[in-house]
Amino acid sequence: MKLAALGGVVTAITPYIPYGAFLTQGGGTGTAERQRVILSDGTVANAKRFPTNSSQIIVYPRSGDRDQDAEPFKRFQLIRLPSPAGDPNAASAFRAYSMICVHLWCLWNYLPQFKQMQCPCHGSIYRVEDGLAIDGPASQQTPPNNALPKLDLEVDEAGDLWVLPPNWNVDENGIVGYGRKVQ
Amino acid sequence: MAEKSSESKNPLVKFILWIIEGLERTVFLGLKFTLPKRYLSPLGFLGMLTTVVFVTLGITGGILLYYYVPTLSGAFESVRRIDQVIPYGFMFRNIHYHASNAMVFLAAAHLYYQYFSGRYKIKNEIIWVTGIILGTVTVIEAYTGYDLLLNQRAVLAINIGSSLTNASPVIGPLLQQAILGSGFSDIVIRFYALHVFILPIAMLVLMMLHFPRYLVLDIPMNLAITGAILMLGGLFPVDLGVKFDPDLPPGITVPEWYVSAPYAFIRTGYEKFTTGGLLPALFILMFLVVPFIDKARKFSWADRPFFTAVGIASIGQIVVTTTWGFYINPNIELALIERLEIQPGLFYSTMVLISLICFGLTYVFLRYVKARQIAARARGRQPPGFILALSRKWVNVVILSLVIFQGVLNVMAYQSFELGFKNLSIFHAGAILISLSIIVHLYRYGIQLPRQIQPA
Repeated sequence: MKLAALGGVVTAITPYIPYGAFLTQGGGTGTAERQRVILSDGTVANAKRFPTNSSQIIVYPRSGDRDQDAEPFKRFQLIRLPSPAGDPNAASAFRAYSMICVHLWCLWNYLPQFKQMQCPCHGSIYRVEDGLAIDGPASQQTPPNNALPKLDLEVDEAGDLWVLPPNWNVDENGIVGYGRKVQ
Repeated sequence: MAEKSSESKNPLVKFILWIIEGLERTVFLGLKFTLPKRYLSPLGFLGMLTTVVFVTLGITGGILLYYYVPTLSGAFESVRRIDQVIPYGFMFRNIHYHASNAMVFLAAAHLYYQYFSGRYKIKNEIIWVTGIILGTVTVIEAYTGYDLLLNQRAVLAINIGSSLTNASPVIGPLLQQAILGSGFSDIVIRFYALHVFILPIAMLVLMMLHFPRYLVLDIPMNLAITGAILMLGGLFPVDLGVKFDPDLPPGITVPEWYVSAPYAFIRTGYEKFTTGGLLPALFILMFLVVPFIDKARKFSWADRPFFTAVGIASIGQIVVTTTWGFYINPNIELALIERLEIQPGLFYSTMVLISLICFGLTYVFLRYVKARQIAARARGRQPPGFILALSRKWVNVVILSLVIFQGVLNVMAYQSFELGFKNLSIFHAGAILISLSIIVHLYRYGIQLPRQIQPA
């Protein structure tokens, strides 16, 4: 009888376990839609005009609300690779990484002269090709805690850049502020 | 207090006594409050003092809620507004800040007093264990509080807290998302919820399980401690710090003193979860299990040299690690990360060494004290020391002069506020409370003196 009663209690509790998902739906993870890449001057990023070996801050997901878009976790940097492998105007010539350093959440900068990203706080250095930390404290963390989350990009016929709806998990786009598995 | 119901009492006193009698039916007076009639050492009721500071924090914190804005862009600006624009906002924020420090400090002092006097024995184990948990929650409450400011110092603490959570094995990232959400906006609103509602409610529940049935409510001492908090607020007004700007790399900041010890552990560069999470947890665990290890029937610290020495060693360890937490390599030529790094060898060796020295010295000293005590007992009792005994007349004189003194302080507090010296004003306000505490003490002393026959 005790066992049956215990079974009753356990089965009564189990449906509430998934309720824990209520806690993990933070601001950055909710929406997932295809959005144009808008640069800081308000124009759409275009593959024909964006300079090689340069970067610009973009916001994703962009809401249009100034306060909401100020969230550092929504900040990414669009980088055009200095020497892309394939078609220079294809999406493969661009990268968009989360600006949150996976070490202690400072915001890194892209240094064109070194062709790498560097965090000003503790000197973590990331490789531009895949966002993997190659030096500094971030590189000492265990995977997937050692690579920057990224956005998948697409270039349309006009050359405009689009952000594809991301999947925020470590195997795909990564988790902002946490990391990503680099294949 | 309802022991006297004489006819001589005035209607107001009668009314109050009537209310107190009625309250005896409620849960509230299941707790037996004792208002001591003479001076008692505050060491015996540090817990009650902590509670009074908790109430002060509740009141000032509740008022601060009127103007605080829990958003990423609004938080710092709203605190700046409280500090600089809202009349007396500076006061409430300073009292709230210093009371939070006082609460953590008093709670720690309370812990150690109870520890050294062996109060965790005689069926007090539950009270002890809930007390340790309550103390831990108090530190977390203080931590979430100073993060709400969202200055660089707060964000450093947020970053370290989040990376520690993240470093927990297996469920780390999930735990991080569950507790902190994803992003600074989430953190502000979540810490806000934790700080103003969830944790205080948890603390209240824990207090129910922690309060002993008999409590000492020493009004003069409570007034004095509140006054001291205000005076500290005036002497060391809390600053705003530098606003957190994600685009600017933060300068060098250190966390609040009660979390600077784990900070030192993390900075040694060893694995974060072990150093920043497990070691402090082990420290807390040591206190949790103490009543179940120390089963001897002796209570006094002098009779338990081993546990007293452990206690002193733990204080030594706290002092060493906290101090290391504040240490920044002064060589500005070095890169930031090198300046922040603490040499693990140096850190752990000083920690272990100081702890061992504390342990050894205490142990030896207690043996010596014990021998002295036995010798002293053989010699007989010492006469009591000097006692200041005021006559009824002089009690009146002193109380009256203190009232005048308070009047003067009132004018000074008002004037200094008008002149813009807010910290001086809050200092005066604190001095008034301390003066009032002396008045209340003298009053309770005076009413017990035999009434003199007035000459006609």
